[in-house]
Amino acid sequence: MELRVRSIRMSNEQVQKTDILQGTLDLMVLQTLATMGPLHGYAIAARLEQVSSRLLQLNMGTLYPGLMRLEQRGFVRGKWGMTENNRRARFYEITAAGRRQLSAERAEWDRTVSIMTTLLNEIR
Amino acid sequence: MNPMGSIATLREWIRRLAGTIGGGRTDQDLQEELRFHLDLAAERAGRAASLEAGGLSQSVEALRDQRGLRWLHQLDRDLRYAVRMLAKNPGFSCVCIVSLAIGIGANCAVFSFADTLLLRPLAVPNPSGLLSVGLTGSSRDSLVASYREYVDIRDQSHSFDGLAAMTKSTAAFAADRGATPSLALGLLVSGNFFEIVGVEPQLGRSFRPEEDQVPGRDAVVILGYDFWSKQFGADPGVLGRRILLSGIAFTVVGVMPPGFTGLDQYVRYQYYAPIMMWPRLIADVNVRPLEAGDFRGVLIAGRLKDRVTRSQAQAELSAIAANLERAYPDTNRNRRIAVRTELQNRIAQNPPVATLLAMLAVLAVAVLGIACANVAGLLTSRAPMRAREIALRLAIGARRARVIQQLVTESLMLALIGAVVGLGLGLLAVTLFNRIQIPTDLPIVASFELDRRAVLVSVVVALTSALLFGLVPAIRSTRTDLTNVMKATDATGFGRRRYWGRGALVSGQVAVSLILLVVATFVYRGFERQLEKGPGFRTDHLLMMSLAPSQLHYSNARAQRFFEQLVASAKRVPGITSAALTRYVPMDGLPPTVAIVPEGFQFPAGRESATVVTSSIDEHFLDTIGVPILKGRGLRASDTADAPNVAVVNERLAERYWPAQDPVGKRFRVEKGPWVEIVGVAKTTKYGFVLEQPMEFVYFPFRQRPAQSMFLVVESIGEPSDLATPLRAIIRRVDADLPVTNVRTMDDLYRMRSVVVLNVVVTIIGAMGLMGLALALVGLYGLVSYSASRRTREIGIRMAIGADRSSVLLMVLRQGLVLAGAGVAVGLLASLAAGRALAIVFPGGAAGDGKVDLTAFVFVTATVFLITLVAAVVPASRASRISPSEALRHE
Repeated sequence: MELRVRSIRMSNEQVQKTDILQGTLDLMVLQTLATMGPLHGYAIAARLEQVSSRLLQLNMGTLYPGLMRLEQRGFVRGKWGMTENNRRARFYEITAAGRRQLSAERAEWDRTVSIMTTLLNEIR
Repeated sequence: MNPMGSIATLREWIRRLAGTIGGGRTDQDLQEELRFHLDLAAERAGRAASLEAGGLSQSVEALRDQRGLRWLHQLDRDLRYAVRMLAKNPGFSCVCIVSLAIGIGANCAVFSFADTLLLRPLAVPNPSGLLSVGLTGSSRDSLVASYREYVDIRDQSHSFDGLAAMTKSTAAFAADRGATPSLALGLLVSGNFFEIVGVEPQLGRSFRPEEDQVPGRDAVVILGYDFWSKQFGADPGVLGRRILLSGIAFTVVGVMPPGFTGLDQYVRYQYYAPIMMWPRLIADVNVRPLEAGDFRGVLIAGRLKDRVTRSQAQAELSAIAANLERAYPDTNRNRRIAVRTELQNRIAQNPPVATLLAMLAVLAVAVLGIACANVAGLLTSRAPMRAREIALRLAIGARRARVIQQLVTESLMLALIGAVVGLGLGLLAVTLFNRIQIPTDLPIVASFELDRRAVLVSVVVALTSALLFGLVPAIRSTRTDLTNVMKATDATGFGRRRYWGRGALVSGQVAVSLILLVVATFVYRGFERQLEKGPGFRTDHLLMMSLAPSQLHYSNARAQRFFEQLVASAKRVPGITSAALTRYVPMDGLPPTVAIVPEGFQFPAGRESATVVTSSIDEHFLDTIGVPILKGRGLRASDTADAPNVAVVNERLAERYWPAQDPVGKRFRVEKGPWVEIVGVAKTTKYGFVLEQPMEFVYFPFRQRPAQSMFLVVESIGEPSDLATPLRAIIRRVDADLPVTNVRTMDDLYRMRSVVVLNVVVTIIGAMGLMGLALALVGLYGLVSYSASRRTREIGIRMAIGADRSSVLLMVLRQGLVLAGAGVAVGLLASLAAGRALAIVFPGGAAGDGKVDLTAFVFVTATVFLITLVAAVVPASRASRISPSEALRHE
């Protein structure tokens, strides 16, 4: 899927980036935390960048408000902790509600994708 | 969204709400997290990457927006700023608030007045769906029907989900045999009444269908809540108890919930009984209420079936009216049947009240409009002072909508404080209205109150007015050309036409307030004179009480014997010098009327009789209240039913029908009845109200023209109210079942019906005049300071080239003086006209002897002119204190 990204706030860069819907970001973050365990913000961004082969570069102004929203909704829990290099960082951990939300969103996503795939193949 | 999602969203909003008031993570915490991110990004890829990751301060801003609710945060900041701005200019704020408070208070008062008299819905479910049905064409335009007509309409119509019948009934109530009876007001209802109204008894049951079948059989009663609380101490054990209504034992089967007023907005009915009990409860034994076709005492109410419109129902009812006309030609000729909503019904029953309320509402809206115009004027006059601040905000990047939002928040703040003060004014007005009492023992409540509805209306009025007076100046002041304002203070010269428009408005306000104050002074002085003169009969040392033996089904002869016996024993009570009977006590509401045909009098074409007011009295009444007989004789004990018919008329009536003749010995007829001979002429007094025109009055002997209820009036040596107890004891000895009502002294009645009413009227007119004056002052003040602020530069130049302070003062003042003077002149002319009109309406009331009251004029005019002068002097003297260097540096 070819995605065009423009971050919500800053970044005038012309690099091709994915335009992510809010729900999609939530889904990506929740999935990352579910598979990788507790991570800090930078690690989440780095993981998404790596998985998307650098197509997806998350802006701080998008990522952190997104994390805060997830936290306010009770899907993740943030806690200050220490990294392996003994630096203070805020780690995010998925909650039980977050896992339930993830599976619900995931089912929704699968349904959307299958509808879109069928539709697009038909037109072709 | 799935339910889990919506709960999550709710949780997010709660947290954000908490975040707004400082419950979330601190700014420091947020920055630390972001800095950590930036550090890692920089370590990995250098500065470029950190730029790519987004700027720190922008990201913190985005996080802050997510932490709280942006608009709430802004509102909070705007409110704080608004409070600071208002506190910084206390004079300006006070003037605005007073002006708005008057506008809002006037609307609040008028609304609560209208709500009580007309608008407040009945305390039933879906009150607007409840319609009244009945025959039109009776004298007072309310919808009525006879019971027979009710049955016909009910059985023939198909548009309604049932129709209920009801009729008011008064009865002598006693909790058990031997208890002192009192008068109780109830509603007799058809069996389906509670179901149609939609309110069931809170205790016990409603009436069973079989209790609506046989006349006079089922003596069951449901009590009103207030009555139950007062008479039975809210005892649930009252169910099954037997109470006496007019001597008949009724079984209590239920209690209605509190606040239920039947279908009458004023009356708190004390009991509800099946309408089948009507023949046994009715006072007049000769009437057969369930059978008579023309005894129209029934009100009908019902709700439309689904998908039936009111016009369909009306068409059907018109057809039924035609059927009734065919079936009963003698009682139903030309009688239409109408269906009305409760509001239409109330308006139709009392058109003058509706008209008065409409006028008051227009007036209140006009007052609000003027208040808003004044405040808008004040805000505009302050605009140059704030132009720089606004320009600065716009220059450093505030969006225009944001600045307008800030300015409107300030206006809202003003309006809300104005609303609070306005509610205070409304409360004062309501307290004033409530001083007018209805002298009655019946549970009639017409209390004006500042309830939730009135508060809501006031707040809506305040918000609307804030938009009215705040939005336009806000939009205008943000439209300024940035560079111009930053460079110079004075905007372009002000529009001459706009100035004259505002000038005319201010002059008009001065004129109107002057008229109102002059009228109030006239009326006040007139009332004072009238009250000094008195009503024409004595009001001191008199006690009255009302008795209705017909409620106990006395025959006329027995009632007459009862009254004679009563007067005889009352006279023997120590401290009583005289006792008398009358059907009507002066000042107790409107007197009853009778249609008479004087012998030999030529009526104009189309009229056959004259309607005059009347009372039936005994031979002692006129002496007792001190009304002298001028010619002939008074009534005598010998004027019995068997003796020739006689009457005493008042002077006014004698002069009208037998001018320049001796009225004694002349005759008249009551409608088509036998001749009645005039045996005496009494002095004309006031009958219904102190300010009334002289009325034609005729006194009949009560033995020849008996009444359903009579007042016993006694004259005392000492304090009249002390006599109530011995008199009650006498009445109890004669008939223990007879309720005694309306026990009060003549002084009390006179005070309630005259003095208090007059005082309230004068206070209302005077208060309106004062409020008008206050508004006019605000307007004048705003206009003068507006034009002075526009002329700051001109004033500076004038002073720089040698003008002294007093000449500047005069220059600015002149404008205000012209406006105030014009207003006073117009008001003076108009109030001269108003004075003449008043002298016609209240002859001998407004100006004593029909002449214009000069004192009032001179006093009021001078006061108004002086006060308006002050409103102009304050801003003018401020303008004259401008130092020339400062005024010019403003450039």
